[in-house]
Amino acid sequence: MSAARTTNLDLSAPPVIQLIGRRSLYIGVVASVIAIALGFTNPQVFFRGYLVSYMDWLGICLGSMVILMVRHLTGGGWGMVIRRILGAAMRTVPLMAAFFIPIAVLGVPRLYPWAMPLESVQNPTVREHLEHNRFVMSGYLHWSGFIWRAIIYFAIWNLLSYLLTRWSKEQDTPPVRDNSLRFKAVSGPGIILYAFTISFAAIDWIMSLDPSWISTIYGLLFLAGELISALCFAVVIERILFRYKPMSELLRPDFVHDHGKFMLTFVMVWAYFSFSQWLIIWSGNLPEEITWYIRRLHGGWGGVGLFLVVFQFFVPFFLLLSRPLKRDITRLVWLAVWLICVRYIDLFWLIEPNFSTSFHVTWADLLIPFAMGGLWLAYFCRNLSSMPLLPAYDVFAKQVLEPKHE
Amino acid sequence: MKTTPTYGIMAEFDSASDLVAAARKTHEAGYRKIDAYSPFPVEELAEAIGFHKNGVPLVTLIGALIGGISGYLMQYWMAAISYPINVGGRPFHSWPAFIVVTFEMTILFGGIAAVFGMLALNGLPMPYHPVFNVPRFAMATKDRFFLIVFSSDPKYNPTDTRRFLEGLKPRSISEVPS
Amino acid sequence: MADRVDDVEVANRRAPVIEPGYTFGTVTDKISAIVLKRPTSTGWFIGFGIAFMLTMMMLFAIGYLVVKGTGIWGINIPIGWGFAIVNFVWWIGIGHAGTLISAILLLLRQSWRNSINRFAEAMTLFAVAAAGIFPLIHTGRPWLAYWLFPYPNTMNYWPQFRSPLLWDVFAVSTYFTISLLFWFVGLIPDLATLRDRSENRWAQMIYGMLAMGWRGSARHWHRYETMYLLLAGLATPLVLSVHTVVSFDFAIAIVPGWHTTIFPPYFVAGAIYSGFAMVLMLAIPIRKIYGLEDFITDRHLQNSAKVMLATGWIVAYGYGMEAFMGWYSGNRYDSFLLWNRLHGPYQFFYYLLLICNIGSPQLLWIRKLRTNSFGLFMVSFVILVGMWLERFVIVVMSLHRDFLNSSWGMYYPTRWDWMTYIGTIGMFLAAMFLFVRILPMISIFEMRTLLPEAEVKAE
Repeated sequence: MSAARTTNLDLSAPPVIQLIGRRSLYIGVVASVIAIALGFTNPQVFFRGYLVSYMDWLGICLGSMVILMVRHLTGGGWGMVIRRILGAAMRTVPLMAAFFIPIAVLGVPRLYPWAMPLESVQNPTVREHLEHNRFVMSGYLHWSGFIWRAIIYFAIWNLLSYLLTRWSKEQDTPPVRDNSLRFKAVSGPGIILYAFTISFAAIDWIMSLDPSWISTIYGLLFLAGELISALCFAVVIERILFRYKPMSELLRPDFVHDHGKFMLTFVMVWAYFSFSQWLIIWSGNLPEEITWYIRRLHGGWGGVGLFLVVFQFFVPFFLLLSRPLKRDITRLVWLAVWLICVRYIDLFWLIEPNFSTSFHVTWADLLIPFAMGGLWLAYFCRNLSSMPLLPAYDVFAKQVLEPKHE
Repeated sequence: MKTTPTYGIMAEFDSASDLVAAARKTHEAGYRKIDAYSPFPVEELAEAIGFHKNGVPLVTLIGALIGGISGYLMQYWMAAISYPINVGGRPFHSWPAFIVVTFEMTILFGGIAAVFGMLALNGLPMPYHPVFNVPRFAMATKDRFFLIVFSSDPKYNPTDTRRFLEGLKPRSISEVPS
Repeated sequence: MADRVDDVEVANRRAPVIEPGYTFGTVTDKISAIVLKRPTSTGWFIGFGIAFMLTMMMLFAIGYLVVKGTGIWGINIPIGWGFAIVNFVWWIGIGHAGTLISAILLLLRQSWRNSINRFAEAMTLFAVAAAGIFPLIHTGRPWLAYWLFPYPNTMNYWPQFRSPLLWDVFAVSTYFTISLLFWFVGLIPDLATLRDRSENRWAQMIYGMLAMGWRGSARHWHRYETMYLLLAGLATPLVLSVHTVVSFDFAIAIVPGWHTTIFPPYFVAGAIYSGFAMVLMLAIPIRKIYGLEDFITDRHLQNSAKVMLATGWIVAYGYGMEAFMGWYSGNRYDSFLLWNRLHGPYQFFYYLLLICNIGSPQLLWIRKLRTNSFGLFMVSFVILVGMWLERFVIVVMSLHRDFLNSSWGMYYPTRWDWMTYIGTIGMFLAAMFLFVRILPMISIFEMRTLLPEAEVKAE
């Protein structure tokens, strides 16, 4: 029985997690102090970098939540073995809500054209659009609406995270509990809520940087990107844990294979959404749409776009076709690290061309990911250490604990 | 008159586990020209009879590459070289528009290569085969499992092989006429 | 291989994929007896007769069309794409469930698919065949349809590869070919079973030739399994690409309501949505009539219902995004389209569409309904109506009032439109009737792998 085996196995996180957490915290604090100090000299640049970095870490956090909910609906050992990693990443939602406050309070008038006086909007297309469509600014794109909507998004995300965590915690102590129906009851509606909230968050926070441009697939593009980064992050943590007990005993090549397959799927879905958007807009060639791509394909940005096509799709795609790679965590992890980095460049390419017509990288783009990421990782490690690495008294835990039971 | 040459000796088993075990033992005993028949795919069986190489993925890959490359080049040649025509100001070499057909051609050729490659490597269609001469073999597509040692095996010897197969405790043994 | 019914399932309180107590022999006998032993019932003849007569009606309507031209339909300027395109998209959407069930669920190791994949694949073929008729006859001169293919010709031209309509030619013909191959190779081992089971000399010969001498050799199975997985891997992106290309037919154009980037995933979800609805509408009566409740269990109904609920929400997401962006973009044509849908002459269809496609699937949240055959059958029917209306709304409502008020108009289908549409339903059903009569509608060999005795025990 699973409980009998569990007692023999120490399921707490190895000390290396606390070590990583501590070092991340140092890096985060130091980088934050420098970034804030530099931020006073140039708040514009600071907030641009802040937004890119924010979307990146938020993607790992929310992507973990949605993968966790998918696992609750479909079951399977692949998800059981990373369940607590995803859970720990998901439980950083309160931190992400705190990180959002600077954007909402100080960043809005510096970032979003609809919150600036119209005369000071640099981009003539955007200015013209806002002049002609003032109803959008009174009906949707205004500061208080922006904040209220953000409060709703974070309330929903926090609620989902709270419920999933609470019921999962019950499964750490005997007796064996079956919460699967509860998980399912919240995960089904949860995924739907997530899809709508992340889409509108993407519209509010990123797409409205250029209010004259719309794309109805935009929310789904973010959704796919978040899935990539969250899964890759889980694979990286899994690799670190794999050096130590208990993960070294729990992780089987079959599970890693499934993670590899999911990576392949998510990369393909991301490419599919991106290509569809590009082909439709390229073919339509309408002035209000194609300008978005023109900005992102000229002035040095085109190289970044090409880089993304090659390194966020073609290279990972062909590598992931290999079965041995997908089954070997020690090799798969490098691809995961790579995809996490490329995902940041992807967000950079989506966001930064709104502010500058020619390619350039600022100190904020290089520093803030570490500042925010250091603090985020410290919190993540704390979360990961606070619960056992496997909900041992879940009825499905034996999928992982008892080999040969797939 | 000489006796009709035999094609092999066939043993019948009741379950997939028995067949896999028997096939393993036969392979270990040094028989190489053997085959096993089951009413559904049994993963362990191919390995048990010593069959590892499988050309299907390679054939599929070649098919898919041919489809994709020829698909793109076809469009490029037709739209940019042979019959260049200005459509809505789009370039002759409109690569975003060519991706769709390239993709479809990749799948079409890859799929056809996979199916016909499998059939060709398996030597199908082959409506007649000596094993069909064994009346009990009709059960191979229902619920019985068969193991055959071909007479072409260097170790094959009518009496010894038969005795060896009997030692595997099959349900029945039959000689397969050629 | 496929995971078996184990205590995880029991713990999860789900209905089994296959009722306990079956052996290789009884599974084989039960499924093959439907084809080989069971006498053709009067009900079958009546059903097939009606479907066949409808097919004849379709052929008559097409014959008259060939004589007279597309003027007999309700299409005209500004609505040049009437029923023909609506029905094409509707049918090809239905045709998505088969390959989805066969390929994607195979890759996801969802073994419950094994008892419904065969007839879902058959359904796909017949639905794609029905779909293919419409663009063909819509060209007006179907005898020149081969002009669509790139072949060297004396007119010295090549097809226009920047047009989504040409992509469609490639996508649909590839889809039909690959679906046919997938279905046929899946049948080969079962055809061999029928060959060995049948007592009729002619049946033995016909099934024998079709089975191509399949004998279940371990080498053959090994290559076969590899091929099947590879084909599934190829068919999965293919099935998504087909409806994506269909959505490009609209989205590449700049007509309001068509030119929107959400179309590809939203069309694909809609296709799966209607496809599963059709699978349920066929599976529920078939399992009742042929007594197959042990193989097509409540679990299958439940899971299909869940897929419909999920895809229904993606479709709802599409509607929501489209409406929101119509307002947010400030584009006057997009916002007019939204107004026209809600208040224009076709508003009734739009509201009906919302009720059918967004309202009715919400009933599937109720666990009881997901296992109630009759309730599911009705919901599936409503969804199929809703998905037809969706295509009607997209095709007709976008065209009837676009940029210039002077070229606004209304669309009124004629009796020929209806005869062709209903006739294709007849053709589809006639083909299904023939299929269940002459081929095993459940994959016998894949059902065998689900049985506990299929497990190879280590020594």
